[in-house]
Formats: sequence, structure tokens, C-alpha cells
Amino acid sequence: MKDLLTKINNIATQKFAAQYAEARAQKLYKTMITLKEGRVEAAKQGIENGVALRVLVNGAWGFASVGSLNSEILTSAVADACKMAKTASAKLKTPIKLAQVKAVTDKVELKPRKNPSEISMEDKIKTASEINRTALGFDRRIKSCTIDYLDLTGTSFFVNSDGTRIEQDKLYVWSRITSSARSEGIFTYSREEIGSTAGYEIFDQQTPEALGEKVAKRAIQQLNAKSPKGGKFPVVLGPNVVGVFVHEAFGHLAEADLALSGGVLASNFGKKIGSELVTFYDDGTIEGSFGSFKYDDEGVPSHKTLLIKDGVVAGLMHNRETAQKFKAEPTGNARAEDFRVEPIIRMRCTYMSPRDRSFEELIEEVKAGYFFKSFRGGQANLDGTFQVGIQEGYEIVNGEVGEPVRNASISGNTLETLHKVDAVGKDFQLDPGRCGKGQTAFICDGGPHIKVSEVVVGGSA
Amino acid sequence: MAVLEKNQMISLAEDTVKAAVGKGAQEAEAYVYEGQATNVGIELGQISKSHRIIDRGLGVRVAANRAIGFAYTNILDDTAAVESVVIRALSAAKASKPDPDWKGLPQKKPYGIVEKTYDSKVVELDSEDLVNIASTMLNAAGQVDKRVFPIEGGIGSAYISNAVANSNGIASFDKGTVIECSLAAIARDGSKVTPVCFEFNAARNYNIDPAGVGEEAAKLAVSALKTKPIETKTTTLILTQFALQDLLAYTLINAVKADSVQRDQSPFKGKIGETVASESLTISDDGLFRGGMRTWVFDGEGVPHQNTPIIEEGVLRNFLYDNYAAKKEGKESTGNASRAGYLSTPGIETTNFHLMSGDKSSEDMLSEVEDGLLIYYLQGAHSSNPVSGEFSVVATPAWKIEKGEVTHCSRGVMLAGNIFEVLKNVSAVASNERQVGSLIAPWVEVESVRVIGK
Repeated sequence: MKDLLTKINNIATQKFAAQYAEARAQKLYKTMITLKEGRVEAAKQGIENGVALRVLVNGAWGFASVGSLNSEILTSAVADACKMAKTASAKLKTPIKLAQVKAVTDKVELKPRKNPSEISMEDKIKTASEINRTALGFDRRIKSCTIDYLDLTGTSFFVNSDGTRIEQDKLYVWSRITSSARSEGIFTYSREEIGSTAGYEIFDQQTPEALGEKVAKRAIQQLNAKSPKGGKFPVVLGPNVVGVFVHEAFGHLAEADLALSGGVLASNFGKKIGSELVTFYDDGTIEGSFGSFKYDDEGVPSHKTLLIKDGVVAGLMHNRETAQKFKAEPTGNARAEDFRVEPIIRMRCTYMSPRDRSFEELIEEVKAGYFFKSFRGGQANLDGTFQVGIQEGYEIVNGEVGEPVRNASISGNTLETLHKVDAVGKDFQLDPGRCGKGQTAFICDGGPHIKVSEVVVGGSA
Repeated sequence: MAVLEKNQMISLAEDTVKAAVGKGAQEAEAYVYEGQATNVGIELGQISKSHRIIDRGLGVRVAANRAIGFAYTNILDDTAAVESVVIRALSAAKASKPDPDWKGLPQKKPYGIVEKTYDSKVVELDSEDLVNIASTMLNAAGQVDKRVFPIEGGIGSAYISNAVANSNGIASFDKGTVIECSLAAIARDGSKVTPVCFEFNAARNYNIDPAGVGEEAAKLAVSALKTKPIETKTTTLILTQFALQDLLAYTLINAVKADSVQRDQSPFKGKIGETVASESLTISDDGLFRGGMRTWVFDGEGVPHQNTPIIEEGVLRNFLYDNYAAKKEGKESTGNASRAGYLSTPGIETTNFHLMSGDKSSEDMLSEVEDGLLIYYLQGAHSSNPVSGEFSVVATPAWKIEKGEVTHCSRGVMLAGNIFEVLKNVSAVASNERQVGSLIAPWVEVESVRVIGK
């Protein structure tokens, strides 16, 4: 396979004068199951083989993707990519250049304790059925439970014209459980996700029973929750919410392509943009984490990248193109969802470092505010406006966690909010997730509990 | 790579169905998909890349003892691969559990007529043509104001075809084209950066206005430079199609899917015939809309597309069905089975969700607002409660309307409420209909929405 890819790259560089060429092939297998109230909607298995070819000609990118590993088809696709790059270069003002990286030859083999490809479909359905049984059995007011399960295994190959040749095993196990409850005209909804690059043993650490109960319990608790008051409040955020805040509100701004697009971080490099308590990393090296991998889709080793240290902007996440623009090192953040798309800058495992406070201390310091434990969704804009929707939250009254609140969200300006982080916990937790930026990436995020002195809470009361 | 012809796609689908039945499937369905797309991309103010993507594959759904299995592959040039996909679908069904509600695959029915869904001019565009169109769009944006920076965008043309065959005799093929250009821009003035402002054109035939898209994105970005905070209060909103599409996608659209209703996840359960919205609202799901982005002859199960009334003058009329959900109630599918190409089994989705226009021009609508907000883009709509319809989102940004004029914009404005209340509080619909995603709608005016300022 790697020899075929090398041959295709040589056509680009020798026949079409490409400055750079890369070929990325995948042979992947997927298993998917959807269970609705215990009914198996369909048990699914798929094969996705294909090649992505990317070339740089006259400083412009050409890209061709084909669902084939056939030499003739690839030969014509690479010619196509080179011609398109040349056409696209016609109006180019600033030619694209790539940062130099050391050529790598490597074979990455995974040795999972429980390889999902060796677990039978029957067993996977059994696991999902157990989650479902626990969730529906938790309370009669639970009306629905949907379980999506996915595992992906296989191999990817990466060869470029700089001499890098990598063969890398791929393994992901992921599941999302959602459940709704209804009582007296009130509808609630709860979601939980698990994900791992280690193996099917994730279900030993997070048992089906525990997952089902967690989802159902939240949906039931929300039935008695009230709408929060809208306005500015001090809040304590749990690791799950801190993770999505780090990812959405800050992480995207620290993606070098978005920083170049006018994001607020480009002009703040080396400057203090937050409280001294704020230290963030994007780390692709945590073993088994849903966001980890050894090499990115440009063949660059995945790093542990420091983004903010004690409130000061310390680094951005790069691919080879942005690293060249910033005179920085590529960080191994170039990721492509599959052979259909080009690699773009994506996060891996993004988190806030813990400090020294206990959860109780954080809560005690709030007279009237909220404790937001778990998020429903989050989004940010380049100007630094973020929004995080909350699926599990509570009032804080006189230093104690009080009644649950439903459908709250928090919003603010990222940099203003980072200055308002006034206490950081000593605990630490990471959660898996999926991030959409045109393509889907499997990621992880988290941190400790933190206290923010003021944030806008959106509520209808 | 040459596209697969109609007869090649249909016979691949039919042969697969035959193979599945031959190997023991009680019922079988094959879905063949092909997409060929060419794209020219704009990044950081310049045209810098071009793509060509060819994606084709085959998905097979089988029923064996009422248990459903599905398998897909994107390797089609090899008969062994096609045979193995059938075997894997059957093995998946065997591992699965029988579903007592499974009442079989759909039967063959006559198809309606679609117009303006295929244009050979779109297929003939090459990357050079696309570079010229992108350049027109970029130049138009640049001429609006020096402070505008186009960060991302592009132009793409695509050919899409699909074929469905099943063991009840369905064997159908349809093809279509899509052309789309888009530009996302910000404006910068000193240290001030606006939120991302976005405009696009998408059409099934070669009918786009790249200069108009570039100009509009740039104008919106410039207009977002002048900002003032606003106070927390209850006010009137004009929702543009972007905001409306975002809000409805995660709330109302879930509530009208039969699957949600049957699973007790819709507040509309048992409310057919009841008033659920303002009488100025009439909505239908029109899978045959002329030139609609989701207009096709048939759905992901080969069932004819149709026009289904959802809400008529505020009264709830119908839900959306695929074959499974319909059979469960002894009804007929409304042709709303949707697939993610060859990669997925069908699920209920809207086609063209058509919110009918009124008589009032958007200018008149705006000029009659004494005090309110014009909302183009929302952030966080996907974090709405999909079951209850409660939302808490940020307008990025909100444009302030004072005495009928847009005066400035405001950042970080949060809107909170319940979509089902919002539908009841719609006071007017304008006449400026356009399609954004699956939604075809005009601007909509809503009273009494809670707004949290800074």
C-alpha cells in the first residue's frame, strides 16, 4: 500500500511539478447499533476504503478523494488534483508554504485489551440492551431511551513527498445514550456520552447499569427543576462544563487557522488574557483518551501543546501551513475525518489544569448563583462570544447547592470571562465528545471545578 | 471518473436485492449512491484551493425473521465485495432481535413530477469556471469597504444520483445537481472585530448571484461594527431565515416527526386538529417543491415524495412518516425517509420545510417595528431542549430596530424562551421567501421574547 502511495506522489512531483504531495489511505470497518426503547432499529456493519490525495502546485492546494485503492484510478485522480491546484493558483496573492518537519517512518500497532472487532454483534447488542433496561426501569416517567453505539477499527496509511511513511492502527469505541422523561406536561431530556481509543474495556470502567442510571436520574430530576432567572450571576462550573468552555470558548480561538481569520488571539500572543489561575493544554498524547493519536493526518507527531500558562497566551494549535505563517512548530493538530476530506486544524484533548481548592470551598463562596454540572451543547464565535447550554444545573443559595434548574445557558465574552475565573479546584475529570467544524472529530475535554465571579445566565424566568 | 449511468445503478441495486433474497433474506432493499463534487475554496481573503470528491457506495437492508440488518461498502468495482456486503447485512440481522412492529418494506407507488432539479450546465462547470465565480464574489465583497476581511468561502458544484430497489418490486433512479457559493466575512476596525457574517446562494440549476453574495456578506459585517449594549427586557424580534432555520431544526422539526410522537417525545402528541401556532403560520413539508434543495422524485426507501400539510393557519394537520413509523399506525409513509448517502439506514427527516409567505414586504415589516431586534444568526440553537422546545441562545449579533430603522448592533444578547410559545406569538410573516437548508421561509416577526442584555 505504501509503495503504491509513494508512486502516486511521485507522479505529482515529477510529472506535474508539485512542490509537495501527500497520499492518505484508509481501510476501515465500522459497527453501528441503534436501540430505541430496547428495539434494535438496525444492526449495521460497514466498510470504507479510500484515498485522499493532496498536492501543492504553484502555492495552491489541489485535493482529490476517491473511494478506491485502484492504481489506475489513483493515477488519474492525482493528475486531476494537480491540474485543479494549478487552476486555483491563478489568482493567488500569497503562495502557501509548509513548515519543515522531520520525515518519519513508523508503524503504530494498537494492542487493545478488548478489541471491538473481536466482540460479537450479539454481545454489543447485549451491552446496549442493559443500558436501556436500566434507564427505562429507573422510573415510570422515563418515556424513551435511545442508544447509539459505534466502533471503528482498521488501518490508515500516510506517505508524503518529504519521505514520511506511516502505517497507523485506528480504534474508536463510542456510545451516546439519550433519554426523555415526561410528567404533567413537562418534558425533560438527558444525554451521556462515552468514548475511548483504548478498547471495548470502556464498558468495564463505565458499566451499562451505571450509564443507564446516570442518564435516567438526570431526566427525572429535571422534571422538578425550575427555570433559572436570566441575568449576571457568579457560577461554579463542573469539569464537564469547564471542558466544553475550554474547548468552545477558548480552544477554537487557539486554532491557528481561526486565529488568522481575525480571531481575538492572534493579537494577544504573550499577553495576559485571563486570571493567573488559568492554564490550558491541548494534549494528543493521553493514552486511551478519545482525542489521542500518535501522528496527525499530515504525518506530524501529536504533541502536548501549552495554550495558556497562568493567564498568558503561550501557544496555538497548528498544521504545517499555519506553523510556517507563525514561525512556530507544527503541533500535530491536522486531522481529517476520513478520506473524503482534507485535514484541518482540530483539537485533541483540551483541558484546564487543576489548582488547590475543594469543591465545597467553591460553593461556600457563592451567596446567590448557580452550579452548572453538565452541558447540552456549546458554540463560540470568532469575536469571542460563547454560549454553553446546560442540561444539569442547580441554584446556589447562601453557599449551598439548592434546587435544580432546567434549560439554562451561559454566555459571555471569552477573554472577559477568563479574567473572572477566581477559584480553581483540585479535582480533575475528562469527558469524550465530538466536535463539528465542517467535519466531525473525536475529542476529549475537561478540567477541575472552577468558580467564575460573573457570567450571563440565559433563563426565561 | 465517469458517473454511473441509470441502468448501471438500477441493476446493481436489483442484483443486490436478488442476491440477498437468494441467501435467505425475507425482504431486502438496496440503496446505491453516487456524488461527484468540485469545489474551489477561499481562505483568508484569497482563492487558494480546489477539491474534487468522488464518493459512491451501496447500502443493503435486510429483514430476516423481522430482525433488521444493514451493511454498506464503498467498493463497487468488485463482485466479491458486493456479495460480502449482503452476507454482512444478513449476519447483522441474525445477531439482531426481532421487531414485532416491523411490517415490511414499502410497496411500489406512482411517482410525482419534479422540476428544476437537474441542470447539465452545473455538471459542465470545471474548476476554472469555479475560480472565476469565486473571484467575482471576492471582488464584490472587497469593494464594499476596506475593513471587510473574507475569511472563508467558496463555490461548489455537485452531481448526485441514487437508486433504490427492494424485494417488493421498487427499482427507481433519480439524479440531480446542486450549485452553491458562500462567503463568511468579518469587519475589523482597530482592535474591534465583528462576529462572522455569512451569506450564500444555493440552487439546483445554474442560478446563483456570486457578486450579490459577496456584497451582502460584506455589508452585514460592516453594519456589525457599530455596537451598543442593550438592556434586559421582553421585546419584538424579526427572525431572518438563518435564525429561523437554526431554531426550528432542533425543536419544531423534532416535534412533527412521527417517530418522536410515537415515542412520547413530542408536545404535539394527540394535538392533530388543535391550534398550536399563530393563525398567520401555514407550514407544509413539500418534497416536490420546484427547484427545492431537497426535492427528489422519491425518498430513501423509494417512496414518492409528496406535499404534506403540517400546520394550516395555526392548526396542526399531520406528522412526517417513513414507512416503518407509518405502518406502525396503519398509515402510509409521507415520503420522509432520509439517508446519509449509502452509509445509513433511513430515518425520518423533513424535505423542504415550507413556511408560507405573507403579503407584507420585509421593508414594511421592518419599518413598522417601533422597538425590537433583527436577528440574523444564532449561536447555541443546537443546545435547545429538543423535547420541550425550550431554548436559550445568543444572537451573534442582534441588530437593534428603533422607529422602523436598523440603528446599530449589540453583542452577546441572549434570547430565551420556548419555541412552541414563539410559534403562538408570531405576529406577521413577510413576503421575502428564500431557502436556507431544508427551510423555505420569509422573515417572521415574533412578539414578547425574553432578551437578556449585558
